Amino acid sequence: MALVLENLTKRFGSVVALDGISFRVAPGEVFGFLGGNGAGKTTAMRIILDILKADSGTATWNDQPTDRAPRATWGYLPEERGLYPRMEVLEQLVFLANLFHIPRREGARRAREWLDRFNIADYATRRAEELSKGNQQKIQFIAAVIHEPQVLLMDEPFVGLDPVNVALLKEAFLEMRNRGATIVFSTHQMEMVEELCESVVLIDRGRVVLGGTVRDVRRSTGRQVIRLAVDGDTELTWLAEVPGVKVVRPGLDYAELDVEQSVDPETVLRAALDRGLRVTQFLIADPSIEDIFIEKVGRRPTEIEHLAGVAAAGASAA
Amino acid sequence: MTIDPSNVVVIARREYVARGRTRTFKATTVLLVIVGLVVALAPVILQYFDKGSTGTTIEVSVGDSKPTVDVAAALNALLNVSPTAATTGGSGGTGTGAGSGAAGSQAPQYRVVTTTDIAGARLRVADGKSGGLLIVTRNAAGELEFAYATKASAIDRTSLLVRQAAGTIAVQDRLTSAGIPPIDQAKLFAGPTYTVQAPDGSAPTGPSSPDGFVNQFAGGFVLAIVLFMAIILYGQWVAYSVVEEKSSRVMEVILGAATPFELLGGKVIGVGALAVTQYVIVGIPATVALLLQPQIAALVLGGTAGSIALPAGISISLLLAFGVFFVLGFALYAALYAGAAALVSRTEDINQIVAPLTLVAAAGYLVAVYSSTGLLDPNSKLVVIMSYVPFFSPYLMLSRMGAGLVGPLEVAVAIAILAVSVPLAIWVAARFYSAGVLMYGQRPSLRLMVRVLRGRA
Repeated sequence: MALVLENLTKRFGSVVALDGISFRVAPGEVFGFLGGNGAGKTTAMRIILDILKADSGTATWNDQPTDRAPRATWGYLPEERGLYPRMEVLEQLVFLANLFHIPRREGARRAREWLDRFNIADYATRRAEELSKGNQQKIQFIAAVIHEPQVLLMDEPFVGLDPVNVALLKEAFLEMRNRGATIVFSTHQMEMVEELCESVVLIDRGRVVLGGTVRDVRRSTGRQVIRLAVDGDTELTWLAEVPGVKVVRPGLDYAELDVEQSVDPETVLRAALDRGLRVTQFLIADPSIEDIFIEKVGRRPTEIEHLAGVAAAGASAA
Repeated sequence: MTIDPSNVVVIARREYVARGRTRTFKATTVLLVIVGLVVALAPVILQYFDKGSTGTTIEVSVGDSKPTVDVAAALNALLNVSPTAATTGGSGGTGTGAGSGAAGSQAPQYRVVTTTDIAGARLRVADGKSGGLLIVTRNAAGELEFAYATKASAIDRTSLLVRQAAGTIAVQDRLTSAGIPPIDQAKLFAGPTYTVQAPDGSAPTGPSSPDGFVNQFAGGFVLAIVLFMAIILYGQWVAYSVVEEKSSRVMEVILGAATPFELLGGKVIGVGALAVTQYVIVGIPATVALLLQPQIAALVLGGTAGSIALPAGISISLLLAFGVFFVLGFALYAALYAGAAALVSRTEDINQIVAPLTLVAAAGYLVAVYSSTGLLDPNSKLVVIMSYVPFFSPYLMLSRMGAGLVGPLEVAVAIAILAVSVPLAIWVAARFYSAGVLMYGQRPSLRLMVRVLRGRA
């Protein structure tokens, strides 16, 4: 009972989209699939869904090739959102549920339930094009889960939502997991990964860069991070005198420091107190997923997204 | 590739409902119903507008020329001569209404009146109240001279007919002057029996009279038009529907639930069912109007029912063949329209990509039209061969069948070839489709198509 990708490769002409990707998603897990779009995430998801065929390698679910699993096994929220613009919301959802062999009446019942839950019950008879982007996205999410799939594959489910809707969606997300669904999702919001995911895999240019449980990944770097805030001093210039410590992210509320493994974090605190400064925040932590992302990939996740657009265009032009 | 028939049904149903609700569908349906009724009632409508019209008036002034024939009556007989019934009841007087017996129930084309007021008549011709004024005079040599005043040109059909009639009248006048007693004018000016034959003396292959022509025309030809319209119109709908799904990006969501093959099949079936629906909506009132034409004619025109004959070219077997060709021909073209449209991502590019298909469809249609109207010999090698080629057979076999040129065996062979080529077309289209649906922003090229067919995209 697991989703296993083994040595998947896929080329589009001269562009290598996947260069031997392997990872395993345990059943019932929330799994973060990280990396820019051009990194090969969408291609991997499409191969799992049998929309694309891999050049080599296998994707299996419960030891069976994924293309043999019934389509209703999967719930898919694609990177490119799409609804029939002139079709009514409820009708649209009933149609999609119907494709998964859910009778129209039952489909309508489930759709109403979800719409209610996302506070958009009033929009049931509105045409999709009349809805705001955020509301369209909620419809899209419902479309992906209405048939209660065993595995949810979601490309950037949280992008473009306001905080209230993010909370709603997160709740729905966790409920799907509690019902036993395995969830694979990609995001560039790293705090979301830390909050929701049990495991992650980071891919770059079609290769797995690192993977494992979020805890292990954060500890794997062998570095520590200190969050430090000092009353009345945002520059922290004196830190230059403390060996093995570097300011990686200065900020008005607090600064993030990178501390070498050999250095005891307490030396930083002591140095501050010795200078007679009032420390308002001091926190020792593992590096954030975001820092690891930058370290491994060399760019910020958002920058990758931009590059991914270019790479995706290149891939489809091939 | 496994096919889930229930998905095909679900997709077809959505296509049917969504497309049936569009304004385009409703507008075209209303328009086609009107067109259908107008076509069905065309004879009645034409006669209604002709009712009360007594045709073009030709005025005749004989002055003091004292012709030995009644010029007005003779002109009336000669102008209103009909190929089927060439007898007139011209009996002196002004000759008005003398052509009533000319062409069955049809009003006479020309009304001939005598006048003495040349200036007034010229004014009436200038106003368009009269078609022309024929002034007859006698010159010093005793010969009749004719002057024809008209706004039309010298080579206008009426002008030519009047000239011809003038010649005949002149001959008769000379004969009488030479001492040969005048014969009964009606007999004299009656048209002779005249037939056109094939080189071997048999009856000609083409229509022998305008009525026969209409029957052949109505048979295969109208059905070929209907088929052509269905393929162009609904084929475009399929193409639009595919590109709409691509441009709204809903395609990828659907592909998570259904295979490209199911999507393609569902679309073609859904739009096809809608096409049939529209044709039934259009066909029922048109058929009723056609069947009730005598009654409607009686109501509108007065007189007794049954005076108008129905076109007899449409038979049950022809309609059956039409049904089969409609379904198969539509499936063939619609699948290819869908496959082609899958290669583009914007609606603006549809016309460009489907243009070759539309051209092929138009070519078959035009050959069918030309061969059924006699511009092209329907038995020529080109037409015969083309009538078996899948892209053309729906039109050509149908029109040849309507003309009574082929037997059931030939029709069956054409249908069999077409039936075999449909799955082939669907395979090609599905290939294009599955490669194309996830392809955005590429300019379609022949190279791309070849690569797609070889499974390399």
